Parts: sequence; C-alpha cells; structure tokens
Amino acid sequence: MDTITVIYLIYIFIGFYFLFLFILIYIQNKKYLYYYPKPKRDYSLSIVIPCYNEGATIEKTVKSVLDSGYKNLKKVIVVDDCSKDNSYKIIKELEKKYPKVLAVQTPKNTGCAAGSKNYGAKFVDTELIGFSDGDSFIEKGSIDKLVGFFNDEKMGSVTCSVLVANRDKFIERVQSVEYKVIKFSRKLLEFIDSIYVTPGPLGVFRKSAFDKIGGFDEKNLTEDIEITWHLQAEGYKVRMALLSRAYTVAPSTIKDWVKQRNRWNIGGLQTSIKYGRDWFRKGMLGKFILPFFVFSWVIGLFGLTVLAYRILKVLIFRLFSTTYSIQTQTSLIRFEDISLMPNILIFFGLVMFFLSMWFTLLSLFHMKDENRKGENFFVLSFYMVFYVMIYPIILISSFYKFLKGHRKW
Amino acid sequence: MVRLLQSRKRVFWEALILTIVVFLFGLLIGIFYESTKSSDMNEYYVNSELSLMDIFALNSLLSINSQNCDVLTSSNLEFADKIYQEAVILEKYESVGKVTEHMEVVHKRYDVLRTFLWINTIKTSEKCEKDYSTVVYLYEYFSKDLTQKAKQNVWSKILSDLKQEQGRNILLIPIASDTNLSSLNALTAKFNITSYPVVIINEKHVISDLSSVQELERYLK
Repeated sequence: MDTITVIYLIYIFIGFYFLFLFILIYIQNKKYLYYYPKPKRDYSLSIVIPCYNEGATIEKTVKSVLDSGYKNLKKVIVVDDCSKDNSYKIIKELEKKYPKVLAVQTPKNTGCAAGSKNYGAKFVDTELIGFSDGDSFIEKGSIDKLVGFFNDEKMGSVTCSVLVANRDKFIERVQSVEYKVIKFSRKLLEFIDSIYVTPGPLGVFRKSAFDKIGGFDEKNLTEDIEITWHLQAEGYKVRMALLSRAYTVAPSTIKDWVKQRNRWNIGGLQTSIKYGRDWFRKGMLGKFILPFFVFSWVIGLFGLTVLAYRILKVLIFRLFSTTYSIQTQTSLIRFEDISLMPNILIFFGLVMFFLSMWFTLLSLFHMKDENRKGENFFVLSFYMVFYVMIYPIILISSFYKFLKGHRKW
Repeated sequence: MVRLLQSRKRVFWEALILTIVVFLFGLLIGIFYESTKSSDMNEYYVNSELSLMDIFALNSLLSINSQNCDVLTSSNLEFADKIYQEAVILEKYESVGKVTEHMEVVHKRYDVLRTFLWINTIKTSEKCEKDYSTVVYLYEYFSKDLTQKAKQNVWSKILSDLKQEQGRNILLIPIASDTNLSSLNALTAKFNITSYPVVIINEKHVISDLSSVQELERYLK
C-alpha cells in the first residue's frame, strides 16, 4: 500500500467517524430536536444591539426585537459605535418613538462589535441580557423559545437558529444552505454539551454569568465564540432552541465573504490559543470542542497540502508528457488512456459523498416550515461539491494573516 | 434531558465502533474486488503460459524438422500480440490494486513470460530465417521520477503507433526492467544499458533517445 493510499484511508476513517457521530446523535435525539422548556416565570430581559454604519438595516432590526412578542422585554439598548453614516440619527429617532429603546453612543469607536456590546451591557440591569447584530432580524416568538432554558441555574447562554435573510445572489444562496447545515450541526452538538458559539444575530445570556466572566473579549475577532468557551470553562451550560430563528445579512460579494471567513478563522485561532491550557480539562470544552476545532484545522490543511501535491504531480506529469508528445509528434491523449476502472478508494469516496449529501439534505429538509427560497439543485450541488472544498484554501490565507498579526475586523 | 446527558459519552464509542465496522467491511469488499480482478488476470496468464509452453514444444521440434519454422514464427507473433493486449488490460486493472499487491505479482509474472518470449525469439532466429523485427521495450515500472514516467508514457504511445502501422512485421515485447528478474538482467547485460526507457531492435540497435515512429522504422527489417 503506498503512502497516499494510507493517508487517504486515514482521512476516510476520520471522515466516517465524525459523520457517524453526527448521524448517531441525530438518531438518538431526534425526538428532542425541537424541544424548548416553558419558562417557570417571565425573566426580565434587555437586548443590546451594536451598530456601526448600519443605517440601512438598524430600524428593521430594532423593530424586529420590539415585535418579537416577549412580554418582559425591559429595554432595547442600541449602541452606536461612532458610525460614519446616519445610524445614530436613526436610533435617536427610534428612541423618541419607542419608550423601550435607549440610544447610546460609545465615547470613541471601539473597532469591534465586542466593544459596543460591552458598552451597552453597562446599561442593563435585568436578569437576562440578549445581543443581536445591527443587520439581523428576529422572528416573532423567538425570544420566548429561548428563555425557558434559564430555568436551569447553570444555564449560561442560549442561542438560536441563524438563517440568511438575503437570498438573491448565488453566493447568498450557497451561504443560506451552509447556514442551515451549521445550524443543524450546532443543535446536534448541544446533545453532547459541545455548542461552540453563540452567534451574533441572537444570543441570550444570564446577566450574572455575563458579568462574572467580564463580558466579551474585545481583543478577540470572534467574541461570540470566545464568550461561549469562556462560559463553558466556568462550568456554565450553553443550549440552543432550534425553533427560535434570527435572520442575518450574509456577504454578497466574494471579497466580503473571504473577509468574513478570515475573521472567523483568525478569531477561532485566537480562542483556541487562549484556551489551549484546557486540553482534556473543563468538561466538553477540553475533551471535545477544543480538540475538534484544532483537529479540523490540522486535517483540513494537511488534506489540502496532500491534494495540492497530487494535483501538482499530475500537472507536471502532463506538462512533460505534452512536451514529449509535441517533440515526437504523437497524440496527446487517446481513448485507451481513459480508465474508468473503480477501486476501493473511489468506493469509499462515493459512500462518504452520499452520506454527506444525505446529512446535508437532512439539515435542509428536517424543518418543514422553513423558508427554502433559492435552494435549488444547482446551489445544493455547488455547495456539496465545490464550496466545502474552497474552505481549506481560506484557512491558509487566515493562518497567514494570523501569523502576520492581522487582528482587525 | 437527563437521558440525553447519560448517552452523551456513549455516543463517541458507538460512533467509533460503527466506523470500525463499516471501514473493515469496506476494506474486505475492496480486497474481495481486487482479488476478483486479480483472478481474471491470472486466468489470462494461465492461458498465456499454456501458449508459451506450446511455443517451447514447437521450438524443440525444430531440431527434428526445420519445416516448423513458419509455424513457430507465426506462433511467436500471435503470442506476442496476445500478451501485448493483455498488458493493456493489466495496466487498466492495476489502478484497482490499492490495498493488496496482487496486481504487482501478476505484472511480474507477465514480465517473466515476456522475457521467456524474447529468449525464444532469439533462439528461433538462430534456427529459422526471420522476416520480422523484434522490438523490445524496457522501462521502469516502479519509477517515481515524473520526467521518466512522462517519457515512458510517450514512448508507449510511439511503440503502439509503430505496432499499428507495422502489424505482423514487428514483434513488440514491453518488459519492466526493475522487477529484479535474473534472466532479464543476464539478457540485457550485454547491451550496456545505463538508463531507461530503452528500445532494443533485433538485439542490435539500442535506442535510448526516441524522437518519432519514423526513426524506429529505419532500424526495422
């Protein structure tokens, strides 16, 4: 057996393991996927919305929070981070119009969402504190489905399903599929106590827990990942209500998409390094989340290196063959050269592909009432065949930026 | 929820066991599939071996009756064509061999067979008048050098073109030179070959720099 075959088989084994892990978690817990506890009482809640140049969307965001229907919503604090557009003017008008809205502005631009969120948190005196992004919209009834989890005293934060609001462009549609797969996987991870992020569009925290850990880490580019790990490290639980939904505006251009993914990866790296001391400690954080994060990077990058090596080898071989063929005036390719003989690696690869496809389709179609705009065959095929392959390339660029000290939003 | 948390750790082991079972099952299917293909090739090989034995018997008859020369020449050519076609099939089947080394063994056995054929054509030419050319193509089967692999790929095509053009005028024998066959090593020693691939025509011309079909045709009978 040659080295490449051995590497390929190891990858297949690892791939099968994680796929089966998710499938088994799904099979064992599918009855509980949509479960959310009824709150024992109406917990008081305030929502903080950071805002930087969100003039186009902030009004809709604030209205979606106010219309969410949660009875004990005390305040909606909109924090303008010294925007360059008319955001502050808009939120000031909203403050006049709606008594629950409080418009505040940071003394100077903090340069990150974490800064605005922490600033806004200073104005909160309720039992629960929620956060939503300035370009996200909460579905009616979503907050009610989150708060019941706080009946458990050890509950630190509860997150929701994050879906893509804009689905006109192809890149937005592909991300819509991706977000649904992420959402479904995150819910499954809840059953092994391994939710690794409380995403920005909507997350509710126990205020005492939030204060205890000192709020968001302003140096981290993914403060929503960091705070989730921090809570778990302090022994708090994190849960997700699948039926609670928030819609967010996904990047519409490749440039913005790459920028966003670089930020996610760099933030993830920062968080992994920060909690590096907790390997195999602090419950599932050290036993699964941290190793899973680091391991997925390592196998992603190593896999990409091997793939690049293989492609390079084929290209060099083709280059030499073509050169010789031209020199000797022989045909470049013949019908006999095309071999369609299957082998065990192709067999494993196909099984893996079809299982992954089944999992993706399951992620997309297990909720019958969800908006499926733009999820056509072409978008799904592109996501399953190409999109997942592109991601390790972004990872390389993220590592490079991280090593160069890039820490900007 | 209590039940969920109890099953939390168990699921990691369950996934591992399921993965091992599926993986081993897949490997067994793969080994079975490779063995099936290898059996197909073995069947071809056994038939080819029988043909070669028949040629050897014919060769022995030469000492008694020289009228067998035509039959022997024809048998040599037919046999060479047969194992050349089988080499093409074997090359395709070789891409199947990922887990086991069955195909490598089959390839080596064929190389022995081809070496036998080469020796036999040399012997035949000593006793019978030869109206065809023997073209032996020696290449490196295990080479990792991409330049060499590309070169061998093109040479194979040139030789295949030559065979198509010349038909029964040439007896084409491709043999892997790096399978450590004593008989082949002894046979090629006199040609002072320093690098591969190489083409030996009628045991006289050693060509290590091939540029076209026409160039080869100059050395043919």
